[in-house]
Amino acid sequence: MHALEFEGVSKSFAEKNVIRDISFSVEKGEIFGLLGPNGAGKTTLIRLLLDIIKPDSGEIRVLGGPLTPVSKDRLGYLPEERGLYRKTKLLDMLIYLAQLKNVPKKEAKENAEALLKSLELYEHRGKRVEELSKGMQQKVQFLSSIIHGPELIILDEPFSGLDPVSTKTVKAKIIEYRNEGRTVILSTHMMEQAQKLCDRILMINKGQRVLYGTVAGIRKEHGKNSLLVEFADKGSLSTIREIPGIRKITEHEGSVEVFPEEGISAHSVLQELTRRAEILRFEQMFPSLNDIFIETVEGASGE
Amino acid sequence: MSKFFGKTSIVARHEFLKTIRRKEFIFMTFAFPLLIAGVAIIPSLLASTASAEDQRVGYIDMTGSFDFPSSSTREGFSVGSLEANPSTIEFVKYEESSEAREALQSGQISSYLIVPADFLETGVIELYAFEKEMSVPGGELSAELSNIAIDSLLKDRVDEPVLQRVKNPINLKLYNIGDNGESSEQGIAEVLSNFGLPFITAFILFFSIFSASGYLLRGLAEEKENRIMEVLLSSAAPIELLSGKIIGLGAVGLLQVVIWLSVIVLGSRYAFPVKIEPMLLFLALTYFLLGFLLFASMMAGIGAVTGSLQESQQVAGIFTFAAAFPLGFMQLILTKPDSPLAIFLSLFPFTSPASMLFRIGVSEVPFYQIAASLFILFVSVHAVIVISSRLFRVYLLMYGKRPGVKEILISIREAGR
Repeated sequence: MHALEFEGVSKSFAEKNVIRDISFSVEKGEIFGLLGPNGAGKTTLIRLLLDIIKPDSGEIRVLGGPLTPVSKDRLGYLPEERGLYRKTKLLDMLIYLAQLKNVPKKEAKENAEALLKSLELYEHRGKRVEELSKGMQQKVQFLSSIIHGPELIILDEPFSGLDPVSTKTVKAKIIEYRNEGRTVILSTHMMEQAQKLCDRILMINKGQRVLYGTVAGIRKEHGKNSLLVEFADKGSLSTIREIPGIRKITEHEGSVEVFPEEGISAHSVLQELTRRAEILRFEQMFPSLNDIFIETVEGASGE
Repeated sequence: MSKFFGKTSIVARHEFLKTIRRKEFIFMTFAFPLLIAGVAIIPSLLASTASAEDQRVGYIDMTGSFDFPSSSTREGFSVGSLEANPSTIEFVKYEESSEAREALQSGQISSYLIVPADFLETGVIELYAFEKEMSVPGGELSAELSNIAIDSLLKDRVDEPVLQRVKNPINLKLYNIGDNGESSEQGIAEVLSNFGLPFITAFILFFSIFSASGYLLRGLAEEKENRIMEVLLSSAAPIELLSGKIIGLGAVGLLQVVIWLSVIVLGSRYAFPVKIEPMLLFLALTYFLLGFLLFASMMAGIGAVTGSLQESQQVAGIFTFAAAFPLGFMQLILTKPDSPLAIFLSLFPFTSPASMLFRIGVSEVPFYQIAASLFILFVSVHAVIVISSRLFRVYLLMYGKRPGVKEILISIREAGR
């Protein structure tokens, strides 16, 4: 059974197609990335899956069937544009949100206290939300989406506005949840995070599916046949520029990426390189999700 | 179904607790009775402190037939004053106007009167005083002088009872003919207790709608603005949120009403008696609850469609006006409680709670009319809740652009599918 399935789902608002015939599925116990530029339809997709809005056509199955009040309680959701009750005390608010997911009050209180402790917010439990710093509020918001121990967690841009330390904490929680067999759907612009965290991704652009599959598979598929090379001597860079058959060289920190011309194998370039300079390290490069993202989006708009 | 009520009651409890902790609620609930008490008590306090002092008034009688008493004591009559404040006017006779003027200038008297020789023909009496120092109210002095004139002209010519009738010609008394044909004198207390409860309830309904629907709008605007609405909608159905909010805030309104009514009942021991019949109280509460539900669910629909708090308050103002509308027709309802307009107002859902209570207060309303108006109100409440929850679902997550009337109508129809 899949944690989530979309089958030929379309949705339009005021004659504008926001989602066009999208199909995908999310396996249980994986971190699934939902990627795409602004306005691609990510938030609409999430609202469709949460039954906040209804699709025009197609079928959505959440945790094995259409979303019911019972299965709603097994979902956790962190919206992109966040908000909390500003005047309500932290603990009271978390208990209220958990109760809305049918968690009994006593259990809700225990969960809230345990989670506040694990995110180092316990001492602030009696404060009003508006008294907390922005970073703390962000953590509280994340916390409010997992307070009821959901099986499927939908996080829309969970890292936006977080400092590196909080990012690390939230990331650790996400991985912890996945390891417990829960499913996480991660919608983000941050390709680096997605590349590190996600098992599989769906990329949409202008409401259409453009990429779908495992992160490793997609990167391999979009491999540019390039080489990452580290030289012993920095001066070697000028000598390799003279090597024929190289289309492009980009400098990274301490290393360079070499793109051979079409039809020339990476292997032959490497042979040429070893002849001219001392090489400490080399590896065949796969493009980052970020590169694939930019390429895909720019390619689409160039049509 | 238990789950449905489960979430509704969680929302209701949360809204109730959140609202009664608001500073505005505490202020409104406890400051309002104080304000009313203030309005009722302060004028009478002012009036009693500003009661007329003892005066010396000079007079020159050119007719020679006036019989001024040496002094006149009047019961100080001021509305609501707790004790009578008698003030004495002392009359001092002068022969010449120059003497009187000197006495006025030296401060021996505060004003003086001249009764001209042709008083019988013209009825004119002249009053002289310093500018801006008319400390004896003209009306009070005029009534006093009338009595003196009547006495002087008619004394010893007519009998004492005739003299009294000339001074005070008629004294109208009202009698009610009851169903059993017995007539009873209608006292001021009975008038107050008849009109009292319906009027107070209409008044309270009006204010409670004002404040509780204000909380509803503000709460919705806040949830919409800080986007927590999305989290709420991912946990509960729109109808659960809507009914939870309305029940929670209805309980807040009811609490407010109970506090206000108890203040009035306690206060009435000192001011005027309010006789509360159980049946009337029951009807008043029923109308109050249904009327509140109607307006509150309408407010929720408005809150869902409109973009900002300011905008929603403007639209809400129109509906609040509808709640206050029958207050403007009160005169008509009180004098002609069985006229077609009064009947219409007491059946029309927006105006029925207050209008019907007015009518019950002043006349025997047939039972079928009460039943019909309750039924219409009940059906309207149901319809408005259904429409509002559809609007809730469609527009709660839409920001920025406010939809037009046509769009709203289309989405009401479409959301029903």
